[in-house]
Amino acid sequence: MGRNLRLENLTKKFGTLVAVDRVNLEIEEGEFICFLGPSGCGKTTVLRMITGFEAVTEGHVIFDGKVINDLIPQKREFGIVFQSYALFPNMTVEENIAFGLRVRKMAKKAIADRVDQMLDLVGLRDWRNLYPAQLSGGQQQRVALVRALAPNPQVLLLDEPLSALDAKIRVRLRAEVKRLQQELKKTMIYVTHDQEEALSIADRVVVMETGQFRQVGKPIDIYKSPASSFVADFVGTSNFFKGIRTDDRVRTEKREFRVSKSAPFSKEEVFLAIRPEKTEVFKYGEPPGHLDPLNLVAGRIDVVTFLGAAVRLVINMDGEEVISDVIEKEFEQRQLKQGDEVLLYFPPEAFIVYPAKEGS
Amino acid sequence: MDRTDVSKGYSIPSVLVSDRLLTGLTMGFLLAVLTFFMLYPVYDICRLSFFKEGILTLKNYAAYFTNPRMFRSLTNSVYVSIVTMVITTVLAFFFAYGLTRTTIPGKGLFYTISTFPLIAPSIIQGLALILLFGRNGLVTRYLLHTNWNIYGATGIIVAECLYCFPNALFILYTTLSAVDTRLDEAAQSLGASALKTFYKVTLPSAKYGIASAAALVFNLTITDFGVPVVIGGNYSVLATEIYQQVIGMQRFDLGATISVVLLIPSVAAFLLNYYLTKKSYALISGQARPFLQPSRPFKKWAFTIYCWIPCIFILVVFVSVFLGSFVKTWPYDFSLTFRHYNFPSLGGHAPLWTNFWASVLKGEMQSILAYKYAPIWNSLWVSILVAIGGATLTLLTGYIVEKKRPKGDQVLYTLSVLPAAIPGTVMGLGYILAFNKPYFLIYGTFWIIIINIIICNFTLGVLSSIANLKQVDKSIEEAAVSLGANPITTFTRVVFPLTKTAFFSNMAFFFMRSMTTISAVIFLISAKVKLAAIEIIFLDIDGRTASANAMCTIIIVIVVGMLLVMRLITGKAGLKGMGAS
Repeated sequence: MGRNLRLENLTKKFGTLVAVDRVNLEIEEGEFICFLGPSGCGKTTVLRMITGFEAVTEGHVIFDGKVINDLIPQKREFGIVFQSYALFPNMTVEENIAFGLRVRKMAKKAIADRVDQMLDLVGLRDWRNLYPAQLSGGQQQRVALVRALAPNPQVLLLDEPLSALDAKIRVRLRAEVKRLQQELKKTMIYVTHDQEEALSIADRVVVMETGQFRQVGKPIDIYKSPASSFVADFVGTSNFFKGIRTDDRVRTEKREFRVSKSAPFSKEEVFLAIRPEKTEVFKYGEPPGHLDPLNLVAGRIDVVTFLGAAVRLVINMDGEEVISDVIEKEFEQRQLKQGDEVLLYFPPEAFIVYPAKEGS
Repeated sequence: MDRTDVSKGYSIPSVLVSDRLLTGLTMGFLLAVLTFFMLYPVYDICRLSFFKEGILTLKNYAAYFTNPRMFRSLTNSVYVSIVTMVITTVLAFFFAYGLTRTTIPGKGLFYTISTFPLIAPSIIQGLALILLFGRNGLVTRYLLHTNWNIYGATGIIVAECLYCFPNALFILYTTLSAVDTRLDEAAQSLGASALKTFYKVTLPSAKYGIASAAALVFNLTITDFGVPVVIGGNYSVLATEIYQQVIGMQRFDLGATISVVLLIPSVAAFLLNYYLTKKSYALISGQARPFLQPSRPFKKWAFTIYCWIPCIFILVVFVSVFLGSFVKTWPYDFSLTFRHYNFPSLGGHAPLWTNFWASVLKGEMQSILAYKYAPIWNSLWVSILVAIGGATLTLLTGYIVEKKRPKGDQVLYTLSVLPAAIPGTVMGLGYILAFNKPYFLIYGTFWIIIINIIICNFTLGVLSSIANLKQVDKSIEEAAVSLGANPITTFTRVVFPLTKTAFFSNMAFFFMRSMTTISAVIFLISAKVKLAAIEIIFLDIDGRTASANAMCTIIIVIVVGMLLVMRLITGKAGLKGMGAS
């Protein structure tokens, strides 16, 4: 077993407000963990408790078998990358990277070597003598990344590191962070509110809501089997129906759906969730015969939005709006357009069923 | 990568560099300094005024309010302060309006000239008015041959207006340049006339700024000592009455009583100013970038002429005092001479300086430089130490209040903005009462003067430090800490370099105040410790007006020289935003 980081009943209260509520997690050495949640869910507070900038109200932060609640931040040897980059504006790129090494009083030669190594890691060798203000946002965040890595921290914590950058650079840097993580095999904890970012880079994703961990798991599991309607809604897009379940049928306000028998909940009141890409859209009157007629619903295309490879349709089924993603090729083949009367198919096995009592 | 090669290197024991301990110690030190050197003297004044032989009594107050001559100082003070407040606020408002809302030429020049009064002791206004309108004034005696002169309330009011002008202007300039001009444009596009726009939109949106400037002028005037002492004549005001009672009559109890009387309007005006400034800043919209349409020719000419009026007054003040120091006998004989720079023997002695020049020079030059110029050397030396000490202490205070925010930071904040509310004369008297005891070894030395000047000017230093530290992103500090830097390294390597410019301009401010201040330190000088600004008053009282002008000129030259050096160091004008607030 390596140097694991464990959160045990970790709690943070600001006065009467509970920002983080008894969360538990074991992070293995070399693992890439993402905290995902809407703003104000407590993910940054968890991160700040791990870094030591925020005092722990209850519970423990345990690293390598030792409780580090009261260890001052300098002593934790955790690197941090900030959303605002937080580069020292009065120092050059090189001096920024060397800062953490100089305060450790490393030998000059060793510092120079390490700085070179770090610059090569992100391909910024030619920029070493510039000041942060002379760099682009993406370059600044690369410098911030290797500055945090330079002292060889035990754990690297990244607090929404890419959210100040524009979309294209965000995607590129995201891949770079992932590459660095795999190369260096460093434990990384990454906080984001962007579900696409979380799903694409993490080994495991922790979905947070109102100070609690709602689901912890591999990205694919989180997406495919969200543990609650909150997760289903927050991670990716989902259509929801509320209804009463009897056996393999769910009666909603306006119609009835067949659902897969293996759905684990036996409670009466349920939520049905279905991903937009799981639905199918056909021109009115031409559905393939083998489909379950119960799950075929008539509607009209209200809005058409091109997303690139897919087309997102907003379909009005007698007042209920459903989002349906169709791949672009099918959209062309079936000659769909706005205002068309269509048939919408919900495959029974694509429905995820949640008990309605868990809260909205 | 080997983990051990970078994980050591903490040579200082962690207890010593523990952030909380360090913050706590620094805060404790600052609280102790402010309590001991600010609250304690004020407390001593209150005690002396309310107690006689250990018994709580209002006898002193009864004595003050039943003696018509003393009581008049209160009504006089209030009268000149209110008149000065009204005139200065109105004048400065339209001046600021001209600089921010019209397209008149020469705005930079107007602004620069209007800041001149800050670089000289307030007394310069009085000296200049005497040269022009005094008993032997250029205008009164030489040109008009009249016996009328400006001594008394008129002189005080005119001089205070000039002295307070830049301070009021700073507030109004900030207010007017921050209020969104698009509001004016919107009003005009809706069909409002220019005059109506001014009354209904411009004026209301600047109301807090106007009121806060007025409160500041009132506070500055009622607490000023330098102007009334040279031009007041028999017209006594509170600040001079305190000095009169204490130094003239040795009536410390009455001096303390009058101090408490003076504290009430001055603290009230300070609180009002403080409260209104906060309100005024709340109105400021962040992205209001004023775009000015060219003013109509009439407006342009009217404002250009208007702006020249106070500027010419200010220039005349400086030119008169400057010339007055070089001519033989003002206003009768205008031939040039240096003899007024050969001060009468002031009996000064400055450590190092005196010994050095006494050993290098002989004869008259020796007596001039080594002895007669000793107060100047003292002032310079005191001012350098005040600049370093003041800028450092206020930066530390600002850092703790703004960034560290430990428990009780509000107490520290309150104490550190309070000095602006306490008049200099009151503080000076308080220092005598509190520290004129054999076991306070600093009493009667430079050190008490240095501490006094730092404390008296603490407010503005702290406020400007806080404003600057607000601009340093909190995560920059956290980045340094997470990289392993201890609190001291974080401060010296990261925070300080980022606030360096502000630190230097704070130094310039403290230096300037120290070179020009009179009211508090006049109680603290001694036969051995003399200061240049104070000597102006004594020279003037002795009837050596020309030498008083010369001393004033030397002070101005030193301050201007320092500002130029600062400008070279920081590459920025040292005066910006430096009015008392």
